[in-house]
Amino acid sequence: MSELNTQLRELRERFDAAVAAAQDAQALDAARVAFLGRSGEVTLLRRGIGQLPAAERPSAGKEINAAVELMEAALQDAEAALQSREFEAELGMRIDVTFPAPPAALGAIHPLRRVTEDICRYFQRHGFAVVLGPEIEPEYYNFDALNIPADHPAREGFDSFFLTGNLLLRPHTSPMQIRTMQQHRPPVAVVVPGRCYRRDAVDARHHFQFHQIEGLLVDRGVHFGHLKGMLTGMCRELFGRDQQVRFRPSFFPFTEPSAEVDTTCPLCRASGSPCRMCGGSGWIELGGSGMVHPNVLRNMDYDPAEYSGWAFGFGVERMALVRYDIDDIRRFYENDPAFLKQLA
Amino acid sequence: MRVPLAWLREYVELPVDPQRVADMLAQIGFPVDAIELRPVVTGVLVGRIAQLEKHPNADRLQVGKIDVGNGALLTIATAATNVALGQTIPVATIGAQLPHLKIERRKMRGVESEGMMVSAEELALPTEWFEDGIMQLDEALPPGTDVVEYFRLSEAVLDVDVTSNRVDALSILGLARELAAYQGTPLRAPEFGAFAPAASDAPGPRVSMDSPDCTRFVVQEFQNVRVAPSPAWMRIRLALAGQRPINNLVDISNYVMLETGQPLHFYDAAKIPDGHLIVRDAREGETLQTLDGEERELTPRDLVIASERGAEGLAGLMGGAASEVRESTTSILLESATFNGPRIRRTGARFALRSEASTRHEKTLPPVLSTWGAQRAAQLLRESGAKAGEPRVFGIAQPQTQEIAFDTRDIKRLLGFELTAQEIREYLDRLGFTVEPAGEQTLRVTPPLWRRDVTIAADVVEEVARMAGYDRIEGVIPAVAEHDISSNEYVLEGRIAATLSALGYDEVVTVALHGAQIFERMRRAGMEPTFQPVEVLNPLSEDQRYLRSALGPAHLEHLARLDTPARIFEIGHIFYRDEGQPLELPSAAFGFTAEPLQEPPWHDSHFLRLKSDAIALLRELTGRSDFEFAPDNRKGLHPGKTAAVLLDGREIASLGQIDPRLAKAFDLRLPAYGAWLYLERIPEFATPLYRPPSRYPSTYRDLALLCDVDTSAARVERVISGAIGDLCTAVRTFDEYRGAQVPEGKKSLAVRATMQRMDTTITDEEADAAIDRALASLRDELGITLRA
Ligand SMILES: [Zn+2]
Repeated sequence: MSELNTQLRELRERFDAAVAAAQDAQALDAARVAFLGRSGEVTLLRRGIGQLPAAERPSAGKEINAAVELMEAALQDAEAALQSREFEAELGMRIDVTFPAPPAALGAIHPLRRVTEDICRYFQRHGFAVVLGPEIEPEYYNFDALNIPADHPAREGFDSFFLTGNLLLRPHTSPMQIRTMQQHRPPVAVVVPGRCYRRDAVDARHHFQFHQIEGLLVDRGVHFGHLKGMLTGMCRELFGRDQQVRFRPSFFPFTEPSAEVDTTCPLCRASGSPCRMCGGSGWIELGGSGMVHPNVLRNMDYDPAEYSGWAFGFGVERMALVRYDIDDIRRFYENDPAFLKQLA
Repeated sequence: MRVPLAWLREYVELPVDPQRVADMLAQIGFPVDAIELRPVVTGVLVGRIAQLEKHPNADRLQVGKIDVGNGALLTIATAATNVALGQTIPVATIGAQLPHLKIERRKMRGVESEGMMVSAEELALPTEWFEDGIMQLDEALPPGTDVVEYFRLSEAVLDVDVTSNRVDALSILGLARELAAYQGTPLRAPEFGAFAPAASDAPGPRVSMDSPDCTRFVVQEFQNVRVAPSPAWMRIRLALAGQRPINNLVDISNYVMLETGQPLHFYDAAKIPDGHLIVRDAREGETLQTLDGEERELTPRDLVIASERGAEGLAGLMGGAASEVRESTTSILLESATFNGPRIRRTGARFALRSEASTRHEKTLPPVLSTWGAQRAAQLLRESGAKAGEPRVFGIAQPQTQEIAFDTRDIKRLLGFELTAQEIREYLDRLGFTVEPAGEQTLRVTPPLWRRDVTIAADVVEEVARMAGYDRIEGVIPAVAEHDISSNEYVLEGRIAATLSALGYDEVVTVALHGAQIFERMRRAGMEPTFQPVEVLNPLSEDQRYLRSALGPAHLEHLARLDTPARIFEIGHIFYRDEGQPLELPSAAFGFTAEPLQEPPWHDSHFLRLKSDAIALLRELTGRSDFEFAPDNRKGLHPGKTAAVLLDGREIASLGQIDPRLAKAFDLRLPAYGAWLYLERIPEFATPLYRPPSRYPSTYRDLALLCDVDTSAARVERVISGAIGDLCTAVRTFDEYRGAQVPEGKKSLAVRATMQRMDTTITDEEADAAIDRALASLRDELGITLRA
């Protein structure tokens, strides 16, 4: 037994004791540095090889290398054991996953915008642009250009707020039909969401301020069937895939033929019984529509023999009331945070 | 319009179920707003009072023997005071079902009563429109007749909506005509008898047509007129239709109006000198006492019917008191006329006169109705015993409508589905149109006399569509051709909403009209409104007189109501007057209330949060990040915590803390912060280009600088970055200190300058040299030194 062997054994014993005593990665690392580091004990031992007779040197080197290998393996094992103890401790933890989470700092989009955006997205998908327009409009855009001359009895239906001169707060979004057609030649394909005003006393179903969405398509070969197709699609986007749409004859000075548009009541269908929203009729009235009146086209220098078109104008609040089953239109302007968060 | 179904059924065969009638009406453009079902009433018979005596045991009761046919005499006691021997009255017999009770045998003060004498109330008729006490029926009715069946009291009443273009259908006959056409069944129009007007220059009543706004005037004299109550059937029918029965003459004019659509007026013929009526403009200063007793000042804009002595009535609106029909009237002049609707409406609006008659006249009636009205009135007046003179027509002798050249291909072109020429002709024929072929695809279509609303081919298409049924229209998705209409404004709004909601702001929609309270609050805070507000001339209430000139005030009111920290935003238009003219601008505003923070007064984390949100939003909208924040002064914002946001030197937004004085005036308990964007100045989105980062490590130096309190961080950063030059990748102030540790009038700023080279690793020597340059510039330009 050489002196080197003895030294090595003694060193191993101390090394094993240090590793066994190490409770964490830091202590292990200290052991590694003390024994196997650049100026550790093994390095000192290796320096001693130079003093040995030349014949013994190779075997001494081998012995040291073999010892180092064993020590490194022991270190790795100790590391692995330590790691697995740590994981065990970490994985043993049980939190209460039912503990309430803090609310996300996400704001609510107003339900009127949601409805508007859903409708606009549907029309955009089919090649329509979305345009916005002023809320103050002269009588020309509100009435005259829409085939409602000064003496027309239909003007009375638009109980409007008047400003100075011939200006008024638009009672519908239809002025944008005129503005759009003035600026573009066919094809014209737009939807126009926007705020409107009428002198309506405020109650659960009426407000002097409301939002409309207008649609207008003018081109060669446009007919009523295209309107029905688009409105059916729109209602399905908004209320569900089984929606049906029906037309009833009506009268608007700026369309001919004209129609009232109804869609099947999604609330009755959902509950299977007649609801207060539609009065049990099973149909929800959306608003007016029709083929653009030839006089309106002529006012825009569009030849009614060449071009035809349709237009519609629906109340956004009405659609939102139905969509979210809301009882009172005033909720939309109260902006109660609970209301907004609920529908966001 | 209230339409008693029983009346409608007289002229057209209809399904029994009122709902089905309502559905049909809706199908052809006359939506039914309500179906008023009648209460169940049974066992009420016509009775004649054969005997009447005082009740033996009660002073206030009478006991009658009532003949109810088949020789039966019922003993019935009553407390009513209007009963008399020989009267014909409704009697509820034992077992009868009335709206609120069932009739049973009972004793009234010892006398066995075998039923009940009935008033209008028990028949569910408006009591205030009928006699007090027991209802009086016509003598001619045989006792024993079932009252409910005879007067068809069980039939529902429909409330029908008639659009303003269809004044021809604003009548029982008009709707019956439409239903007959839709069903393809015959119209059983009442037989009016021949209309054979006398020559207008023959002796008798005459009309001078001195205004173009009366196109037709049928006048007719009736003698032997006796003013009396109308027969029960007419009173009941009018009451169900919503017209109060008055007397036979008034009732006939109302009845004819409801049935034919033509309003009439009766003059006391004795009050019209020479039977000469004049349709003319009122004279300046002329007055007229209308039959509601009002003394009205007229102007030449008003159309009157006058006699030679002066105005006798407001055309189409209301007659005059002087020639009003009274109890003493024995002869009358009938007016059945066609006026220019808008003119009637204008005068009606000025005098706030609105009636069933005026709502018809103001839509300009088809002239042919004036013939029907006169014919029907003559028939009813004759039945009431009057002696009719010959009618005379002034103005249009023979009403006509204009022929329309109709291309049958327009059906397919506008509706998208095809109909054969034969179908088209059939539908038009049912509606009373005259149709003649005129070439391969063309028809010559002449609307019936009552359809003045049909004037162009598109109108004909709608008529055909109504008859074919709108359900024939099939939905197809159009292939929309390319166009270049921009959605930019809408896209911008969507981006704002998406970004601000992601940043935790709730979207609100506030009311755009407000009252003077906003200005009062501002004045309370010592602020005069900067802008002249846009005012509504005809507001519903004072609370809605002004259009908002900013979104903020409504938000402050809302936040004060919430009284708890909240974050909100809104996108909407604002309005103010610019040189008198209303100006409208798109705007977006966001802001929050928050609990005050424990921090030194020269530091405001809430402000920085607002600024950070503004940067995030503006970056999302513009694609840029080189915004400049400049101290600013804005009414409504804290003078030391306000910034203008500039991009390319243009102000695109303002932000800051709400002036505490204003917050107080709005009853805000919490400090509030707000920002708003000038949307019209936001540049179009600029797509940022990618700049590859350096592959070499960067280095930084932190500097503790001592500078004047007024020197802005932005200024310091600019100087540093300018001095360092190309090596500089970022300069950012990360701390500020004011107070005892620094000299009076000074503050300390901690700034980190980061440097990097694109081509190689920057050396410490390079970095130090750059920092030396920066310090020299800071010293020279701003008098800044390193903090010791
Ligand atoms: Zn429903």
